[in-house]
Amino acid sequence: MSTRERRDRSNESDRFLSQLFHKAIQDLGEAELGKEIALAAVGGYGRGELSPGSDLDILFIHSGRVSSEKLKALVNEVLYPLWDTKSVDHSVRTRSETRDAATSDLRVATGLLDIRLISGNADLVANVQSDALELWRKNAKENLQKLHKSLQERHTRAGELAYLLEPDLKEARGGLRDIQALRAIALSGMVTVPLEKISWAESTLNNVRESLHIASGRGKDRLLFQEQDKVAELLKYADADAMMGDVARAARSVDYLLDYTWHTLEHKGKDGLGRILKRPRVATVAKNVSASNREIVIDTFTSFNEDPVVGLRAAATAAQLGLPLSLDTCTELSEALKKGEGVLSNPWPREARELLIALIGAGEAMVGIFEILDQEEIIFHWIPEWMSVRSLPQRNALHRHTVDRHMVETAVHAAALTRKVQRPDLLLFAALFHDIGKGTQEDHSERGVRLIEPIAQRIGFDAKDIEVLKNLVLHHLLLSSTATRRDLDDPATIASVVSVIPDVNTLELLHALSIADGEATGSAGWSEWKATLVNDLVQRVKRAMAGAEVAQQPEVSLEQIAQAEKGVLRVTLEEHSSGYAVEVISPDKPGLLSIVAGVFNISRLDVKSARTKTLGNSAVMYWIVTPEPHAPEITDTKLHELIAAALVDSKDVEEKLFARAAAYASIPTIPVPDPEVEIFTDAATDATVIEVRSHDRPGLLFRIGAAITQSKIDIRSAIVTTLGAEAIDTLYVTELTGGPLSSERANEVASHLKQALK
Amino acid sequence: MKLITAILKPFKLEDVKNALQGAGITGMTVSEASGFGRQGGHTEVYRGAEYTVDLIPKVRLEVLVDDKDADSVVDVIVKAASTGSIGDGKVWTTPVDQVIRVRTGERGVDAI
Repeated sequence: MSTRERRDRSNESDRFLSQLFHKAIQDLGEAELGKEIALAAVGGYGRGELSPGSDLDILFIHSGRVSSEKLKALVNEVLYPLWDTKSVDHSVRTRSETRDAATSDLRVATGLLDIRLISGNADLVANVQSDALELWRKNAKENLQKLHKSLQERHTRAGELAYLLEPDLKEARGGLRDIQALRAIALSGMVTVPLEKISWAESTLNNVRESLHIASGRGKDRLLFQEQDKVAELLKYADADAMMGDVARAARSVDYLLDYTWHTLEHKGKDGLGRILKRPRVATVAKNVSASNREIVIDTFTSFNEDPVVGLRAAATAAQLGLPLSLDTCTELSEALKKGEGVLSNPWPREARELLIALIGAGEAMVGIFEILDQEEIIFHWIPEWMSVRSLPQRNALHRHTVDRHMVETAVHAAALTRKVQRPDLLLFAALFHDIGKGTQEDHSERGVRLIEPIAQRIGFDAKDIEVLKNLVLHHLLLSSTATRRDLDDPATIASVVSVIPDVNTLELLHALSIADGEATGSAGWSEWKATLVNDLVQRVKRAMAGAEVAQQPEVSLEQIAQAEKGVLRVTLEEHSSGYAVEVISPDKPGLLSIVAGVFNISRLDVKSARTKTLGNSAVMYWIVTPEPHAPEITDTKLHELIAAALVDSKDVEEKLFARAAAYASIPTIPVPDPEVEIFTDAATDATVIEVRSHDRPGLLFRIGAAITQSKIDIRSAIVTTLGAEAIDTLYVTELTGGPLSSERANEVASHLKQALK
Repeated sequence: MKLITAILKPFKLEDVKNALQGAGITGMTVSEASGFGRQGGHTEVYRGAEYTVDLIPKVRLEVLVDDKDADSVVDVIVKAASTGSIGDGKVWTTPVDQVIRVRTGERGVDAI
């Protein structure tokens, strides 16, 4: 299994075909025919790369002066003896017919780039060869566009070689066809392709393919489970996992070089003079992070030591906007991290944790960003534990992906379920790490619990959250296995689940995690059938537990009560790790929450959390806000002025808000699940609790507040939390006359809220 | 020869499988199924709203046996699958004309 053997096989075929060709000419009795015709190899055979099951791609080139009967007789005589033993793909063309075919068919054009004479008139082949290269270069721009499109289609169809457990070595993304594409791109002369970077990958993939053909006795390129052991043995690997690890590494380096090459091609011509004359549009999208040329970059001269969070900020922003992360930025960040610059503190600052969650929660858009962070080895500086599952194969018929990619896919599915749980951040984090314990003989859930604890600590979750995360990792298979293997009618089954899951919130998280994990595994691991069983179990366990827990109303201090009784507006501002902590004590009035939220929004202060409570005729509010990039300096006096003015007349605030919302509409977005509104009656406080779960966006709280005010109900208190890119707002509301809402009124308010948040 | 088909509660599959293996049956086909019988589905309360679940997840198990073994195998399945409550499922047999093992081409009882 080596390049040498494949070359020998190709030479052997050359000799055989050559003999057949000469014999055919002799049999036809016309020696002159040898000057009018030539036999050439194209494609992989042209390169001398022949695996046992490869097709022989051959081309008969003729001068056009041979009669069609003679031509037919000759071709038949050459091909007939091959009929039973070899699979031959042949065509018969003149030089100009070949030109036409190459112009209209991309596969012909690329196949001809490797053309090689086997027998006959060498000049005919030399002409076709120079035509092929000339045509390829002349139409390079158009050809490469077509090539890019065909590659994308093939990748969608065949999937990614590095992550599939039964991949197609040739067709999948990062496979042998991509190497041919890279070679064709290099020949176009449009861009330099460092092909030497993938020479190891190419020989590895070719060796595996060759052994697969030998082991299976067929020309199929899909590396099925049943063949993997035999192929690994032929190649003298310790086991199939070691071989699949090499295949994944090879595929990733091919894929990466291909991405890099397209990236260079796309940004070509935007450098040099062009750049000076016409500066690309740069827009600041977060602190030290900009969007330029429709990709996210870290601003030049940013010090990674002064702003160690900037890498995560760039990644999260890119994912949330659905834009790619610049390769140059990643290279620069990776270099800096390797030099020990920009190291995050332990535990991470709160902002870093929120950004990681926003990155994980971006759904499909996260996959590309995560891959570049992996290829540039940035992720290992943030989460060293990820190294142990990198490209780790799982030999399990249910799974489609390697462990690392399975966890990324689980996070993508979890992002669609964030409205189903009260703590989307814990769901997303657990989804990305639920299988971190794989790779040893030990039970992966138990090992996972030991691994998740230090990661969660470093990332800055508190002790209570870490317990929940440990539970999620430990029990991530519990619901599926119990639902399908135990009697759900038996109270002991329900009791066994209740005994290990401490509360309804953890149960909901576990339910969402099971769904995301199952969906990411594929149709073999998750079906409507299984979903029904798991749902049944969850509902039964829920009934056995106490009701859902909601955020409790905030406590207020004596000093705040005294101040509230005065009924005068007071605004105090303090520095806080996330920006500012703002205390507002104000006379109560309808719409107060949305007025204050609106003032923050137009002052370019992003609301991270809020706790408000009404006391008599006043309201006590405690806000944590983060200034947006380029936000103007803010002071107690300035805020006091703005709020006081808005309390008298809020029109100005509303107008500015709508103008800002319109400006935001031009920023790209990614698809997010619809907001969800849940309503309970809280007997203890005689109020109705409205819980809104939504993707965070500018002015969200203002909209919620305004919708409540329009519904003519009173907000007694509000607890607002932002977790990554998700917001959970809990409102305790009553009728203006006091007392909870009737169920009709509650439903009316819920649908009104949903409408307002669309 | 007979084809024995059994519709079971999913969690009983393991017991039935073990019992069949104990009785010397080595091959079987298992698939996910849903349906309802005399129990006619049941009512669920989800987030305050009542809705009827009419299709209940079940497991469908199929075994090919020689005529003389059919009754005893059915007994093994019924015994292992029973919980005594509604929705335990059903077992039935159908006569089979011919059985061929694809790999070897063996026919009839030899192919079971």
